[in-house]
Amino acid sequence: MLLIYSILPAALLHNFPCSGVIFSLFLIKQSDSYLSATFLCLAAIRYICCLTQQILNLLYTMKRFMKHPLGIIALLSVVLITSCSKDSAEPDPSMGYIQLASGFAAGTSTHVEVYATDSAFTGYNKLYILLKDSVTGKPVDNAAVLLNPMMAMMSMSHSSPKENPVSNIAVNHFFPCSVSFIMPSTAGTWTLGVQIQNLENGKSGTASFTINVKDPFYAKMFSFKSLADNSTTYFVGYAEPSKPIVGINDLELVIYKKESMMLFPADSSLSVMVTPEMPTMNHGSPNNVDPVHVINGHYKGKVNFTMTGLWRLNLKLKSGTTVVDSTHYIDLTF
Amino acid sequence: MAALVHLLVPGHAQAKHITGKTTDSIPVVQLEEVKVYGLAKNTNQQLLHYYTANQAATTEDILARLPELNMIRRSSYGMEPVIRTYSSGQSGLLIDGMRIHGACTDKMDPASIYVEPQNLQSVQIQTGHGFQSGSVIGGSVDLKLAEAVFNDSGKWSGSVSSGYQSAANAWYETGKLNYSGNRLAVMTNISWRKAGNYRSGGGAVIPYSQYGKLNYGVTALYKLNPNWTAKADLLLDDGWNIGYPALPMDVGYAGARIAALSLRNESGRGRWQQTELKIYANAIRHFMDDAHRLNVPMHMDMPGESRTYGGYASSRLVINSNTQLDLKADLSSTFLKASMTMYQQGQSPMYMLTWPDNNTLQTGLGAVFSKRINSASVLMLSARADLFSKVLTTQTAKDQLSVLNKPVNNVNRFLKNISLEYSYRFNDRVKLKTVLSYSERMPTSSELYGFYLFNAFDGYDYIGNTLLIPENAWKAEANISGKSGIFQYGLTGYVSRINNYIMGIYQPGLSTMTIGANGVKQHSNLPYAMIAGAEASLIVQPDHALWLINTTRYSYGEDHAHNALPMIPPVKNTSSLRKMIGPCAVQAELELATAQNRVNSKAMERTTAAYAIAHLRLMYSGALAGNSFRIDGGVENLFDQAYREHLDWGGIHRPGRNIYLQFTFQF
Repeated sequence: MLLIYSILPAALLHNFPCSGVIFSLFLIKQSDSYLSATFLCLAAIRYICCLTQQILNLLYTMKRFMKHPLGIIALLSVVLITSCSKDSAEPDPSMGYIQLASGFAAGTSTHVEVYATDSAFTGYNKLYILLKDSVTGKPVDNAAVLLNPMMAMMSMSHSSPKENPVSNIAVNHFFPCSVSFIMPSTAGTWTLGVQIQNLENGKSGTASFTINVKDPFYAKMFSFKSLADNSTTYFVGYAEPSKPIVGINDLELVIYKKESMMLFPADSSLSVMVTPEMPTMNHGSPNNVDPVHVINGHYKGKVNFTMTGLWRLNLKLKSGTTVVDSTHYIDLTF
Repeated sequence: MAALVHLLVPGHAQAKHITGKTTDSIPVVQLEEVKVYGLAKNTNQQLLHYYTANQAATTEDILARLPELNMIRRSSYGMEPVIRTYSSGQSGLLIDGMRIHGACTDKMDPASIYVEPQNLQSVQIQTGHGFQSGSVIGGSVDLKLAEAVFNDSGKWSGSVSSGYQSAANAWYETGKLNYSGNRLAVMTNISWRKAGNYRSGGGAVIPYSQYGKLNYGVTALYKLNPNWTAKADLLLDDGWNIGYPALPMDVGYAGARIAALSLRNESGRGRWQQTELKIYANAIRHFMDDAHRLNVPMHMDMPGESRTYGGYASSRLVINSNTQLDLKADLSSTFLKASMTMYQQGQSPMYMLTWPDNNTLQTGLGAVFSKRINSASVLMLSARADLFSKVLTTQTAKDQLSVLNKPVNNVNRFLKNISLEYSYRFNDRVKLKTVLSYSERMPTSSELYGFYLFNAFDGYDYIGNTLLIPENAWKAEANISGKSGIFQYGLTGYVSRINNYIMGIYQPGLSTMTIGANGVKQHSNLPYAMIAGAEASLIVQPDHALWLINTTRYSYGEDHAHNALPMIPPVKNTSSLRKMIGPCAVQAELELATAQNRVNSKAMERTTAAYAIAHLRLMYSGALAGNSFRIDGGVENLFDQAYREHLDWGGIHRPGRNIYLQFTFQF
């Protein structure tokens, strides 16, 4: 009984004010009106407290709005608009993306559009292919898409690492894929071949685009010759976080091996250690998780940023116990 | 307005006493010259009154005189009062019962800076446990604001004063105006201070020790009926260009907006007495920067803000002439946010939250049951329960704090406090009082959520820990006091064991945020710590014109591994001899402190040398055209000693010889 009288109401009351009411009813039944009144009061105080806070929060939010005379009008119009308008049209799937290239794939009656979240840069580029029926303009959601990036330099040409769409079915009308351009267009001309097999009309063909690839201000990809054999070349690209926040971020790196000028398969053999650092401040961040290989050369881990600004991810790569590279880093700013 | 000589009653665990039985409390410590406004209303004994030996004194100077208080000094402005050696998180600091949370992550703005001596009516100190102020283990200080006065002699009254202090080339101007009607009384006051860099003992000028501030407010009383009075307070404070020599940053602007409305019943009749209902709100803004510092690797701004809303209801139930029950219910909601932005040319600004946006909701219920058992003994039983809910209010705050790998959901705690006080009066010469208490306290927002807060004292960055459990303390306190002939004495001893003691623990794996910091410490619960100490006082009063007051205080603290706790002051003794000669008074003071060599090396604490300093003060009161005036003058640190107290940060010496003169005119 003592337990009920002391611990239970106290513990419950904080999170569930209603328990105070219930408990007081229980006490009334036990004909203990003084205690009953006490707990009713406590519950009431708690309710008032919550209510006050809500009101104050509301007032504060409104106050910020009301500071500007237009704020009141804006507030009212928002209420009016949200209650009246109803958008029935399907949103344009390419909203928020930049179109890198577009053109027809000859003989397929299909218009090919290449989108990305940013203009093409040296490094791991996530691309989104949108196919449209050239007659109706409607998106083609069922197609096999193959990428063929090619760099034409004066005396030679080479390809680059890429990821074809994993499925023939578009996601939200887009075929997600990637190309890791390993050098900028200043060295030659990047051509992106998009070979499609339109499974809706059964036609196949290829569209070819010239892509202007620029070096980003902070390099997003680097290559190194393995210290283990001094010959194998690896490419390491930064994929995520694309929108870093102050907090815990999902870190994703991609690693490719150069087998030939045309072949850059994904690599899953390395282990990666990442040490974030603010170069201007000389400090790091706590509780990072080193990325480990998940699939197709993608290594996933966690990177923590304690403030905005310029961050440097110092990388150390190992093959087994042998350090294959420890001199590179990736900078990012937000 | 009557100037009275009043005695202090320190060392009491509770501020309130059985009605009408307060007169037998034996005054122990200090002679105070106070102005008591509206004395007739002041039936409830105010514990402490204010020290105006130096009219140019700041509130901090006054608080530093009180034997239970120590001041942590980071600059000549904004000293942080702490009770005994409990930290500010362990004790409460309120203004007129209102919770005011500083907006500075470095504790540069304790609430005491918003009260100037002229709007301070009294200081209430509780050292037992906090019935009045919340769940605290060290005690609480409540700075009562001066009120408007119902004055029989005239509708308008007031005072102006002007003063100068040589050590900091400082000016201090005040003005006060009181209107008294039949039912309405309004008082408004303003004080302005401007100080340059001060000259420390021996002649060295301390850079970045300047400050300027303006404090102004209005308070009104309205008699609704013979029993009930309504009161409104508005208190504003603006500080600018405040230097903090012991810290790497200064304050460009600091502002406080404090408002309160209350209703109270002071009829002193009926079963329910001294009922008070109050609601209040305050907003503090604080802008810290290092714009004026030289050789800074990277400039940064650190603004902070705090907003508190709250209210309380208190009353006294008189059960019979020997038994009473004091009740108080209070709630408050405090929002805190502070951030830091650093600028490096050619880069995007580096921004982070140093106090991720957080809100503290507190609800408390307290009761003090007092019973006079017989003519010699009184028993008091106090209890208080508090519900705390601390929450991170934005996703940004949660995201950022989650980096520390601790949960970021609500921190809900239920805190319990209980104390038992027994006092026994053997005779006029000996009165004994004992208190036994158990109390708990909520971890502060800095301790829970602080994000790489640089502590200039030990040079470490501090990070919060949302898994902290509340500290709890067992405390015993005994006080013996009495009066014999021309002597009055008081002796208080206390010992407390604080379980789950919260302290920063070095985390070798973490990298510092602040350039040049020694490392990162995370607030953690130590098994326990012990804090003990004693305060003694002696008053000798051979006649009405001569007083000698002597106070001594001593503290001791150690953690579970018997290491010294940091910030424990050594023995300090203050003597004050005052002689009244007609309209003049002469006062000689001597401050003695022993060396503190028992320091905490992990906190990089430095030892402090013993010192002895003397002050000489002169006062003259006169009349001029039917009005009174007063001249205060004197020399502080007469022999220009280079000294510092142990709780002073940064090894910076205190002001050297300071000649001051203050002229006050009352009408």
